[in-house]
Amino acid sequence: MGTSANDLELTERLNLIEAMITEGRRRCESWGWTFLLWGVAYYVAFFWAAWEHFAYAWPVTVVAAALLTMLGFWRQGNPPNTTLGRAIGATWAAMGISMFILFDALGFGGHLADARIFFAAASAMLGMANAACSMMLKWKAEFACAMVWWTAAVIASFGSVDAAADAFLAAIFLCQIVFGIYAMILESRRRSERGTAHA
Amino acid sequence: MPELPDLNPVVHGKLRLALLTLLTGVDEAEFTWLREKTGATDGNLGAQLMKLEEAGYVSVEKKFVKRKPQTLYRMTDAGRAALTEYVRALKQLLGEAVI
Repeated sequence: MGTSANDLELTERLNLIEAMITEGRRRCESWGWTFLLWGVAYYVAFFWAAWEHFAYAWPVTVVAAALLTMLGFWRQGNPPNTTLGRAIGATWAAMGISMFILFDALGFGGHLADARIFFAAASAMLGMANAACSMMLKWKAEFACAMVWWTAAVIASFGSVDAAADAFLAAIFLCQIVFGIYAMILESRRRSERGTAHA
Repeated sequence: MPELPDLNPVVHGKLRLALLTLLTGVDEAEFTWLREKTGATDGNLGAQLMKLEEAGYVSVEKKFVKRKPQTLYRMTDAGRAALTEYVRALKQLLGEAVI
């Protein structure tokens, strides 16, 4: 074998190593459906609470969405744990638990009379989780979602209740529904492009 | 001129190299996950994993989960060291730092 052919084979090995490292790390994209699911859940909870003035609309919907998320992951089988996957999962789980405790406590403590507090805090927390995840994955599209959430948080802090609600609904649409569908399309495309490594 | 290093033939196999690299990033991996990631056939994948196991580079655990058999593979310290040494040798042979 000539030197250039040998070099080509060695370079191919290095490329294979890089490709497999990327492949092994690829976890978050398979969570695209969770963005969509939670986006729908937020809409359900929002309109349920607005129309029926039902105090338990948010807790009930969030618990139902959490159960559906767990069911979805259970159906996916048992993907291997990676440090990155654990970090991303931990970020979202911690955010979810924090929101659940904070808003239930504020609500039952009677301090959520001004809905803008809820919209601002929820948007800021969602922005934080999206930003943390985007930095871990170096994913600009998700960082853009974080910026949308932070913008919604600022609007909720300074604007009227109606403006806060509109900003919150728009952020859900962009960062949960549209971003979720985008992530699912990316995931599907990558699955179909996936190469093979034969002995 | 420094002597060029030899590449470990066990690690050098394309599928074995892919498997070792995949296993570096996870705590443990199921056979089906490795098959999905590499696109290899069951027979080829099983044969290459056996070679890695014989070399002491991966360890295998077989168990039943919800009454279904599950085969889990983990990279050993020897496997990690072998892959690290392989990458170092590869970079030296190519004369550049790629990773």
